[in-house]
Amino acid sequence: MPRRKVVLALGAALAVVAAAFASSAASKPARVTADDPNNANLTYWYWGEDDAPGANGWLKKEVALYEKAHPKVKITVVTQSTDTLTSAFTTAAQTKSGPDIATQWATLPVLTPAWNGSSVPISDYVPAGEIKNWIGTAENMSGGKLWAMPQYLLGIPFLWNKAMFKKAGLNPNKGPRTWPQLLAACAKLKAAGFTPFGMGNKDGYGGAWFFSLIGKQNLNSIDELKDAMIGKANFSDPKFSGFYALLADFKKKGCLNSDVASISFTQGLGLIGQKKVAMSWVTDGFAAGASKALGGTKGMGVGPIPVWGKGKLATSYDTTQSSSAFITKWSKHPRAAAQFLVFLHSQQALRAWYKATGVFPADKRFPASLVTDPIAKQQLALDKSPVSVWPENYVPPQVDGNADLAAGELITSGAGKPADAVSLWERELKKWKSQHPDEFRNYSKWATSG
Amino acid sequence: MGHERLSRDTDPKARRRPRRRRALWPYLYALPAVSATAFAFGFPLVQVVKDSFYAGNFDAPIWVGLDNYKGVIHDPSFRTSLLNNLKLLGTVPVMIVLGLAIALVLNDRIRGMRQYQAVVFLPYILPATAIGLCFSFLLQENGVLNTALRGAHLNFLAQDWLGNSHLSIGSVGGLVVWQQLGFCVVVFTAALLALPPETSEAARIDGAGWWALQRRILVPQIRPIIELIAVIQVITALSWVFNYVYILTSGGPGYASSVMELYIWRSFSNGANGTAASVAVMLLGMASVLIGLSLWVRKQVERA
Repeated sequence: MPRRKVVLALGAALAVVAAAFASSAASKPARVTADDPNNANLTYWYWGEDDAPGANGWLKKEVALYEKAHPKVKITVVTQSTDTLTSAFTTAAQTKSGPDIATQWATLPVLTPAWNGSSVPISDYVPAGEIKNWIGTAENMSGGKLWAMPQYLLGIPFLWNKAMFKKAGLNPNKGPRTWPQLLAACAKLKAAGFTPFGMGNKDGYGGAWFFSLIGKQNLNSIDELKDAMIGKANFSDPKFSGFYALLADFKKKGCLNSDVASISFTQGLGLIGQKKVAMSWVTDGFAAGASKALGGTKGMGVGPIPVWGKGKLATSYDTTQSSSAFITKWSKHPRAAAQFLVFLHSQQALRAWYKATGVFPADKRFPASLVTDPIAKQQLALDKSPVSVWPENYVPPQVDGNADLAAGELITSGAGKPADAVSLWERELKKWKSQHPDEFRNYSKWATSG
Repeated sequence: MGHERLSRDTDPKARRRPRRRRALWPYLYALPAVSATAFAFGFPLVQVVKDSFYAGNFDAPIWVGLDNYKGVIHDPSFRTSLLNNLKLLGTVPVMIVLGLAIALVLNDRIRGMRQYQAVVFLPYILPATAIGLCFSFLLQENGVLNTALRGAHLNFLAQDWLGNSHLSIGSVGGLVVWQQLGFCVVVFTAALLALPPETSEAARIDGAGWWALQRRILVPQIRPIIELIAVIQVITALSWVFNYVYILTSGGPGYASSVMELYIWRSFSNGANGTAASVAVMLLGMASVLIGLSLWVRKQVERA
């Protein structure tokens, strides 16, 4: 009898719990799932401050303006950090939940989630008449669709401190245009007691930039790099990986700051503006800051990256939209998200962006007449170079994180030789193919047919 | 009444019922807690073991058998991570010896004992993230520590603590000791203060000196606590150092200071869930073996 009572009691308890769940589920009001562009709660995972200081403040103001004009739209901005930008979204995509709008670096970091079914083509929600004004859309095209919106153009100019050049007996009005000239300048600056070149590589991004800026210079087109990623070409070919020997030599000659391996990439970007180094390459945004610190054109020189390689890409410039915004597959309000993104390309928003960051918007409607600063004018001219490519965007994110970043660290810390860096790349490419056969298939298809 | 008792004792059915009742009810009382525990610990454990035999994403997992384990074992960056975890085990005796020494000194009721205790314990209550950030600035090539060393004309001691691949894991270990030492000291001090004073008094009357008192009387009495702390710190060194490594060195240069937790995180954040799960299973296995071993040693010592 007691045993039966226990069983009955348990059964009754379970029934009550089940009924409670059922009733609570039934009594829940039906969710508003209609995609009304003027009535939505949106979450935006945003990144941009490290490229363009002032970006976070700009977005906050734009959100306030948009919410004022659309009282039923609420936008929550969650700023993302550089070192977890890709991983945080990859984790969110595993559970098919997270933001309505996300930010990723252009090309592979944008296209990989697109291929994995975590995003929707933005060209399905934004009219072609609007998209034609955006600059750099080719970076995020796959299968004939555009997957993300560019916000800004990020050029990487080469900067030098004119005062230090003068003291070292160099022509302050002429920066090094070739690698031998750079090494010659380095020797003179070092002899004069200056740290020749500034870079931070504790997190690997300094080395990744070296790959993008110098490593591409023996290639004739970015398709050659794509071939190396899918195994049609061998990454150990010096055409692709010869730059590691150059980086090792650059360090050996004492051209780099002594703390290159222990300071972060962002700390490294600030060195030229702090007058701690004579030369560096930085983003347009950091160049604007450095220009203020060094006294504009009188104190700072701006030019393209010195030429080392002999490929057609050797003289290409390095402009990219850097980060791009896309709408997630699980968003219940893709139209609302798209409408807000289009708002960020309104004339008011473009002007406010430039004012806040000093970085050029990726939009043909941005009036060049607003650029009055002589240094900024030089940067804009460089950004408009006919051929522009950022190779890191074409490296699968996993390989970028595990090989591109780590291999550069091996060289700048002295922990490894160029051959170690190359074998790390080869190992990680192999691992990527075996761990993500679907991604590899999509990449191969994209590499051959676009 | 006596008759009733007699009849219950002699009737087999009546004798069985209360036993059954007693046997069943305790389990029922424990059922909610057991279910919650099974859900909170058992389910993820089974799931992670299951995931370790699959590749691809969670939507469309592909059975790969032991391939994840094979891939991990053949990966040099995993082997470096594993080796670094083993190197970090070296922090355990350092913490135990230092913590015990400080606790024994504090146990002598020296003046300002509580203040000293607070100072030693302070790092333990600070968030690991904040500590990692502070130390990343302190330990840079041109950071505060090296600047001070150079200022004191000790240039030979100024090293690239984070950027040198031979030193970076040692820097992480140093930070772990710095933060965890306070915990050891507080626990040891509490254990020493809880000891009955009679034994020490008796030893003193018998002529035991300070050193003999500590070595032969006090330390043996708190041995179970020392063992407990050792087990906790072994677990810390194996699977609780992610924060320090991630913030201080990000596992670099290259993979020089990577640990298994960081390897798991990197794999998972790259969408290689199966690889991450296989390393998690290996880490769990290692921690279990080490803890089991320490318990076995303890039993052997007790028996002896």
